[in-house]
Amino acid sequence: MIDGIGRSGATPLHRLPTGLKLAALALVATALFFVDRPDVLVGAALVALLGLRSTGRRFREIASDLALPMTVIAALGVVDLVFVDVATAASVVPRLLALAFAAHAVTLTTTTAELTDTFERALGPFERLGLVDAGRASLTLTLALRFVPLIVEEAREIREAQAARGLGSHPIAVIVPLVVRTLVRAQVVADAIDARGFPPPRNSNNAK
Amino acid sequence: MSVIVPAGAGRGPGDPPEPPRQTILFDAVAVAREGRVALDGVTLRLAEARIGIVGLNGSGKSTLLKTIIGLVAPSAGRVTVDGLDPSAQARAVRATTGLLFQNPDNQIVFPIVADDLAFGLKNHGWSKAETRERAQAALARLGIEALAARRIHELSGGEKQLVALAGLLAVAPKTLLFDEPTSQLDLRNRNRLARLMAGLPEQLIVVAHDLDLLADFERVLVLEDGRVVFDGAAAAAIACHRERAG
Repeated sequence: MIDGIGRSGATPLHRLPTGLKLAALALVATALFFVDRPDVLVGAALVALLGLRSTGRRFREIASDLALPMTVIAALGVVDLVFVDVATAASVVPRLLALAFAAHAVTLTTTTAELTDTFERALGPFERLGLVDAGRASLTLTLALRFVPLIVEEAREIREAQAARGLGSHPIAVIVPLVVRTLVRAQVVADAIDARGFPPPRNSNNAK
Repeated sequence: MSVIVPAGAGRGPGDPPEPPRQTILFDAVAVAREGRVALDGVTLRLAEARIGIVGLNGSGKSTLLKTIIGLVAPSAGRVTVDGLDPSAQARAVRATTGLLFQNPDNQIVFPIVADDLAFGLKNHGWSKAETRERAQAALARLGIEALAARRIHELSGGEKQLVALAGLLAVAPKTLLFDEPTSQLDLRNRNRLARLMAGLPEQLIVVAHDLDLLADFERVLVLEDGRVVFDGAAAAAIACHRERAG
């Protein structure tokens, strides 16, 4: 899903303002939890899937992108079926699928810069009240999107290095060096961000 | 090995004027970090177009670069960059001085190339329209404009290093500081970066274990235990470093 953060494009969803897309996603997500009719929820999931397909992503690619969430949703469906009832499973599965498709459509058609700009603007009123530093909060979001794949890669390297030394796989043996490496990287990244002039000056849009 | 030609070499009367350089002064600078002395009474005047810094690991090379850009404050003495104090006037110094880190993955903040270049420009107060233009121009200058829409994690190590460099060039610094820029590159990318560095008109201060990279520099410093033990022409400095390294 992290890899799904989008590039700019020319489809209608790409052209929609980011704030509108995020607001619509929040509205749809909320509304879906007030609907229990399976036929309506299946319809919503199909509409969301078509919306996702309209971004230019092929069905095979969508299946690959969402393999993990769809597996979890399927597992939840089975749990509901076994431990609750058919009606619950029939509403939970299409509801979560609709949500996953809609969310993926938004991430595919929104670049990180658009997302963080919108996030920063949305936090603007809270910043004026002194409750949050919008620039730093949006940078935190950006760093999460940028560095999660790197941390996953580092975890893989640590596992491979330990396997090469004949060590079995134990979560602690991976987590401890991973945390140490991540903390060291965090200091260097903080230096790099400082060196690149962050934070920007106030009213930076017209500063030069 | 690539041929490194200093940017200022061979200028004649009809050539364009020398690009502006900064004068960086170290006045008895000492830095103590994590209980040990990283720099010990360093006094220097750096004004040449091409300055190299060599030394063993832990000799204070990276610390010296970081004091120039205000990431590390001296515990004694004073550093100035064209009269500005990097610790107290960090924003002004960082607008004219860029630091390229050893690992580009630590320097690149945004997941998409163009967005990352925009990050640095936004920090220095450029408008959105100018940001687009300057980002494109910086990528074109390094011949990597085709990477603009690419995701960072899809790029090779060499491409990432060029993107990180483009991020600095976009801000139009007078001085570029390089901290072991070729240490993570294969030979082809190392040579490509070396050729690009040779053609940059900006003032370069380069920390390197890759001694060939500094072979044609005007001036090379040798650091040992936080002190400058040699300061002179590249060939003599490199010979001194080789001898002291054993």
